[in-house]
Amino acid sequence: MTKKMAEKILEKKKKRLTTGSEIINLAQQTCLGMLADLEKARRPVLEATKCSLDNSFYNPKVGYLTPGDKKVRSELNVSSVQKMSRSVFFLEILLRNIEVGAVNTKRELYYMAKGMCKKDALYKPLDFEDQAESDEIVDFIGEMLEVYREDLNCYANDRGGQTYSQYLIVEETLPNGEKATIDLSTLGTSPFQPKNRPQNLKLKAKKKIEFCMVVESEGTANTLVANGFTKRYNNIVIGSGGVPSNAVRSWCKLIQKELDVPMFFFGDLDAYTIQNIYRTLKAGSAASLIRNSDYSAPDIHFLGVLPEDIKKYDLNDYPVKEKDAGEARSLKKAADALKNDPFFQDKKNKKLADILRWLVKEKRRCEQQAYFSVDPRDPTMIEKILVEKIRKGNYV
Amino acid sequence: MASKITSSSTAEYFSKNLQQVGFSSGTKAVLTTLKEAVDNSLDACEDAGILPEIHIEIEKVAAGAHKNMDQIRVKVTDNGPGLSAEDVPHVFGEYLASSKFGRGRCSRGQQGIGISAATTWAQVTSAHGARVITKTPKMKQAFKCEVEVDIKKNVGVVKEKSNINWDRESGVSCEFIFDGRMQLNGDAGILTYLLGTSLVNPHLKLTYKINDEKPVTLDRVSEELIEIPESVSPHPHTMKLGEFLAHGTLYGKSTLATFLKTGFSRVNEATFSDLTKLGVKKAWFKEPVSSLSQAEMKTVFGALQEAKLMAPSTRSVLSIGEDALSKSIRRLGEVDFFSVLSRKPTICDAKPVSVEVAIARLRDSKNEADDPVELLRFANRVPLQFDKGACAILKSIESINWKSYGLNQPKRSIPTGPYVIAVSVVSPFIKFKNASKETIDASDELVAELRLALMQAGQRLARFVNKERREFDLEKKRAHIEQFGPILIEGIGRITGAPRTRLDKATEGLMKILGRDEAAAEDALAHASAKQKEMVKKLDQYDESDFNNTEDDDNDSDDSDVEA
Repeated sequence: MTKKMAEKILEKKKKRLTTGSEIINLAQQTCLGMLADLEKARRPVLEATKCSLDNSFYNPKVGYLTPGDKKVRSELNVSSVQKMSRSVFFLEILLRNIEVGAVNTKRELYYMAKGMCKKDALYKPLDFEDQAESDEIVDFIGEMLEVYREDLNCYANDRGGQTYSQYLIVEETLPNGEKATIDLSTLGTSPFQPKNRPQNLKLKAKKKIEFCMVVESEGTANTLVANGFTKRYNNIVIGSGGVPSNAVRSWCKLIQKELDVPMFFFGDLDAYTIQNIYRTLKAGSAASLIRNSDYSAPDIHFLGVLPEDIKKYDLNDYPVKEKDAGEARSLKKAADALKNDPFFQDKKNKKLADILRWLVKEKRRCEQQAYFSVDPRDPTMIEKILVEKIRKGNYV
Repeated sequence: MASKITSSSTAEYFSKNLQQVGFSSGTKAVLTTLKEAVDNSLDACEDAGILPEIHIEIEKVAAGAHKNMDQIRVKVTDNGPGLSAEDVPHVFGEYLASSKFGRGRCSRGQQGIGISAATTWAQVTSAHGARVITKTPKMKQAFKCEVEVDIKKNVGVVKEKSNINWDRESGVSCEFIFDGRMQLNGDAGILTYLLGTSLVNPHLKLTYKINDEKPVTLDRVSEELIEIPESVSPHPHTMKLGEFLAHGTLYGKSTLATFLKTGFSRVNEATFSDLTKLGVKKAWFKEPVSSLSQAEMKTVFGALQEAKLMAPSTRSVLSIGEDALSKSIRRLGEVDFFSVLSRKPTICDAKPVSVEVAIARLRDSKNEADDPVELLRFANRVPLQFDKGACAILKSIESINWKSYGLNQPKRSIPTGPYVIAVSVVSPFIKFKNASKETIDASDELVAELRLALMQAGQRLARFVNKERREFDLEKKRAHIEQFGPILIEGIGRITGAPRTRLDKATEGLMKILGRDEAAAEDALAHASAKQKEMVKKLDQYDESDFNNTEDDDNDSDDSDVEA
């Protein structure tokens, strides 16, 4: 690849690509570079941003994890020729999808590729043992071109993010250009399911919205709504459904950007919630370094459960089961995060780091559902506590 | 009113606690009986300087007297020196009547419990004791009898005595009929025991007949008797207080100085001045041991433990040797390749120990690639077939990264594949976890020594595995060039719309690149082949080389030889 060609590609990568034609063009340039190298019997190199914690930086000004300069290089040799062939093979499928406007999930792509490998003897050596192998190639292509998988028309199944509000109106631009308007107050007890492509959505509020609350458990979000939380307050309630999916993350980002309302996260007091669920929602993840700008809501606050709430509301907490492999792993990961995760190391997030430190030291946990036991005779007690916490600024 | 306190004989104790000495199930009963009889035969032959030749018959005779049991007959006949008629009741019918007790030698039997326990088991399950035929070279006719254990008195009772003509110069034959269960294969299998015994006894000629099957003979692979080193006096640091006091009673009126100098190794006049600094009064050295109070003896014992003494001698430890092991391992079946390793005797936990390892890949192994390797454990050349979970040998194997040596291994587990790993620990003082001697205690020092032996054997094995891996690599790389080249170039062609001429040129370039990699793989294979040839040459020329100096044999730079 000539220096000029490489510079051209780098420049295009720096400017985030969104249109299909730009992506097709960059992919072609990359392949032309490979071809030129091969003609000269030089080893082509494919380079992608290294998406891992050791290449993550936390920029307090933007509020999310950003990538460093580290790259994953795949130079052609007998060991990497399979990966490179697989990358070119998948690239062809993805570019065709962009050209014709087709979309697929990773699982669909896996079976499509597997089918081709089984049917056509030429592609047999590429055959994939399991979906993880083909997912890795799709992710590699995204990281190499520095585009979202959604830009490559590869969508995840919509999961999590069930949203309730009496005052939110969503306007969706459909693939044919038509607009669909959804007034969430007309959905009865049904939630709105956010989409993986938030750029097609526009938001409006019928009345000033006081706050948006993301609840870790979708069930608890549903209970709050069933007890009338969204009727009594001008708010938006979202069920995160555990670790937030791309759809949930980009949906929260959209709400933050378009409505500019205070956002709060209500979840368990445990290492896994703070480190995996809340940190991913607020600042993105190391695995999605190139997408964190659109997949994080840095203004969101941690409403609780806070360690001081245990005493204040006499909540039922209990010790972490260290014999439980999952819990022990979470604690170890939390201890590692305090040492290595730039998010927790930044002074802006000191209070969150203090909570994590408290959890590692005390080895105790408290579920968000503990608030239900404060006064079991009053079904609205939990929302009273949450609103009181918001009003008194009792959050991180 | 207080109940009357009674005392019971040793035989009574063991007859009630046979599970402690290897008779806790039908399967174990068969294996323990066989093992005790074979151990006695091998020890007797080695003591008399005779190359052992042992015949074994095992058969199911009838249904057992107990539920889920069969009546089993085990008969073991040897060509050893034989027992005198007077010794027969002591050996087969009396507990703790051993010629080997506490003598500090690497014999298989140590305490004189095992064969008497086998007689007791036969007696309680089939109402018959051990049927014995014996002949020493001095006897004109062989002596035949049945021995039973008098449980109350702990003495052997001889019945049905007769003199018979026997077809051999000397030897012992013992037959037991008892309730048990026969298991042939697997960890606790009879065949596993027989093959294991033949592995660590290369000088043994073994013939066995199981049920109605044809007799199988495993010829000896070594005509040399294993040299049994002379016993040494115990080292004070290997003793517990009770043993020390009991040892002292044997010296009665001898002075303390004599007791310490002659009763122990590594104790001399210089030690005495150290002992006086540690609280032993000078006058005590001249007093008879029997006149010292227990408190004074305790002080002496405590001071001895504190005193700095030379480590025990390792001269008392025998080794099977790499030469013998490398011949013997081929008796396990068709072997693809193998490695053997004999460590120099060393001191672990203040006791001399010798560790030897043999690893082989078997061509006709029943093991699939995912099955754990077959593990053979030995203590003083006796196979250990039960309770491997807590054994020092298993713990050592699991703690090693076998992937470095080319074997597959699930995390922190025993490696997998069609391999046999045989590990032998020899010591006059092996610390077992139980009286039935099935598990070696996993002390840190012993585990460290075992790990060294296993890793060195692994490094040698890696030479063979490496060559295979390199061959496979080269083959894979050649296939890669043919398979992926067209996919890559044609794919790039379709995406870029480049003309055929450019694609053809790119194909040529690709072939050049991958050809360079292939050449590098060929070089690596040639290097691995040379290393392997070197190894084979060493194995074939044991007699000429000083291959026993193993510690610095593996300092080459082959990356796969390095333990992570």
